[in-house]
Amino acid sequence: MAKYKISIVPENCTGCLRCHLACAELYTGRFSLHEARLEVILSGDTCTIRLGDDCTACGVCVDNCLYDALLKAPLEAAP
Amino acid sequence: MSRGGFAGKVLCIDLTTSHVQSLPLDMTVAEQFGGGLGLTVRLAYERITPGTGALSPDNPIVIGVGPLVGTNLPAASRMYAVTKLPASGSIGWSGAGGMSFACLLKYAGYDHVIIVGRAESPVFVKIVDDKVEICEARPLWGKGIEETSEALWNDAGRPAGVITIGPAGENQCLSAMAFVDKFSTLGRGGFGAVMGSKNLKAVVVKGSGGIEVADRRQYLSLSKELLGTIREYPYLKEWQELGLMKSLPAIPVETYREIKKRRIACVSCPVADKDVVEIKDGDLKGFRACTSSAVNLMTPMIYGFTDYREAIRCTAVLDDLGMDMFEFFGAMAFLRVLIDNGVVSKDRIDTPVVLNALSSMEAWARKVSSREGLGDIVAGGLSAMLKEFGEKAQEYAPPIVRGMYPYVGPTAPLRWNLFGTMELGQLLDPRGPHVAAGGSPTYFAKRPLEVFPRHLIRMGVPDAAMERILSKPGDAGKEQALDVGRLLKYSHAWFTMLGSLGICARAQVNRFYNASLCAELYQCVTGIETGLDDLRIRADRAWTLLRMANIREGFSRDDTVPPKEWFAEPVFHDYVTEEPVGPGEVAAMIENYYDEQGWDRHTGIPAPERLVELGLTDVI
Repeated sequence: MAKYKISIVPENCTGCLRCHLACAELYTGRFSLHEARLEVILSGDTCTIRLGDDCTACGVCVDNCLYDALLKAPLEAAP
Repeated sequence: MSRGGFAGKVLCIDLTTSHVQSLPLDMTVAEQFGGGLGLTVRLAYERITPGTGALSPDNPIVIGVGPLVGTNLPAASRMYAVTKLPASGSIGWSGAGGMSFACLLKYAGYDHVIIVGRAESPVFVKIVDDKVEICEARPLWGKGIEETSEALWNDAGRPAGVITIGPAGENQCLSAMAFVDKFSTLGRGGFGAVMGSKNLKAVVVKGSGGIEVADRRQYLSLSKELLGTIREYPYLKEWQELGLMKSLPAIPVETYREIKKRRIACVSCPVADKDVVEIKDGDLKGFRACTSSAVNLMTPMIYGFTDYREAIRCTAVLDDLGMDMFEFFGAMAFLRVLIDNGVVSKDRIDTPVVLNALSSMEAWARKVSSREGLGDIVAGGLSAMLKEFGEKAQEYAPPIVRGMYPYVGPTAPLRWNLFGTMELGQLLDPRGPHVAAGGSPTYFAKRPLEVFPRHLIRMGVPDAAMERILSKPGDAGKEQALDVGRLLKYSHAWFTMLGSLGICARAQVNRFYNASLCAELYQCVTGIETGLDDLRIRADRAWTLLRMANIREGFSRDDTVPPKEWFAEPVFHDYVTEEPVGPGEVAAMIENYYDEQGWDRHTGIPAPERLVELGLTDVI
């Protein structure tokens, strides 16, 4: 079950890919741009961050973002 | 411990024969030089035949990325290229923020790429993992950096890394640079011209693989600690918001905020020093520029531009043509002086040379980059201009070091009158008057000497050397002093350590690292047992080999003579005492630099015993 609600603030993203790499490393054991559960595409001054269908909202991407482009809020515990 | 960090292969491409070969990385040599910058120097030394012309097909371009590149360690995205540079004629490094190119090269499976030969017609190299193609680039020839980069991204799909040249590189202008992912530059010295001489328009890389680290537990622990240090840095948000505008506010901060569209980072960089800006008003309303820094866009204001919007446009044009702004403006300022003094006849000038007018500078940028008319002479740099315009031109020449324009000094574009490592480094960097290796690692202008020891320890300066660099008040009757020559040795060493790992040397970034941490990170990423002394000796080995490579080309101490203009009013001043610095003081600094390196203090030639100590027995 997801621990967090992940919010994306694309205008803050600088395309540094720290989130992307941390996600890939956590789930595959290696840093790569093709094995993450989220995708960051920076084209000119347009940035798109997409969470994949297999994203578990674990928050590792948020923990690695230095620009507040990704934020997390704890999900309320189920009653 | 398992091995990690390195991709494990060197890609060799001969553009003359179209032969492509992937060789295993020699891990023994990789370990001796650390990787990245150090190993790039080694590979270049092996492959450059002494006396080869910089623009000859035989001159290799050696590109390298360090073992930390591809991880998500902060700012571990640096790439280097070593080749013989046409402007200085020396074997030098060019370094760039790797944007995504550097990590994608690793993910494609390569630590280094070596390109030799000359294609019959314009080509670009496309690397997609194991598949390497030499592709037709005629439709791109003549196009600017922006259009070429976008076309190649459209072709390859993102993510892809792109290094490309513009018309200036194609026409082998000595101020030509190559651009990495449209934002970073492999810069001054004419690296772009070397690519152009090979009919090589671009290199594109896509990598679907990945990089593992040897000791994951230790990596995550060190990485978390480092990230915590960065988050706690009180000025982090300010740097992220303003970039280099924080320390060099070339325009009012409010104006910068108005034009700023987005800050852009190389992979994993915490300060994002690249900019996308858009002009909001006036005739240039809506004009957008991508740049390595908004500060750089304002360079024409140093030459008299009063409208920052026109300065942006001018620099953006130079960038798109793939031309270094300092070399271009330096050459144009020289041309202006020659016209004013009748050395160049006005009959030869079909376009007025007005340094502070956009229309004039834009027209000349296009003439120079296409080598049209007198632009052909200017494209050859200051040396070509002196040759063309004769002895009388010498009288009006700007300061010149190794055929290039030192751009930091009392009358230089970056006006600065204290003589520190950055300034001395303009004489002693093998590539020519470039300030990165002597500046960024150590530089903190006008900071009191009390802060130096902490910083020097961080750079990995040994205790014994600390005493030589900083003499205390009362030592041997001297006032407190800073030995700039000896300090420069350690600036070069710290720069080489960072570059060999793949970490950016910018002061705003390397402040979060220290040499001991670098050793720990190197060990946990690569699995190669490494202590601080290992990093020190690898850095000295690489920098001394670069020195030997240039001695092999005929360079000597004679090539470090400071320009006479440095000693005419206004002059440089001592970093501490602020007394004027004369030729004798500079000569002493050079000798102390050589001595600290373990090279002959008079000739600068590394002694055989020093070469043995560094394990460079094959170059004696």
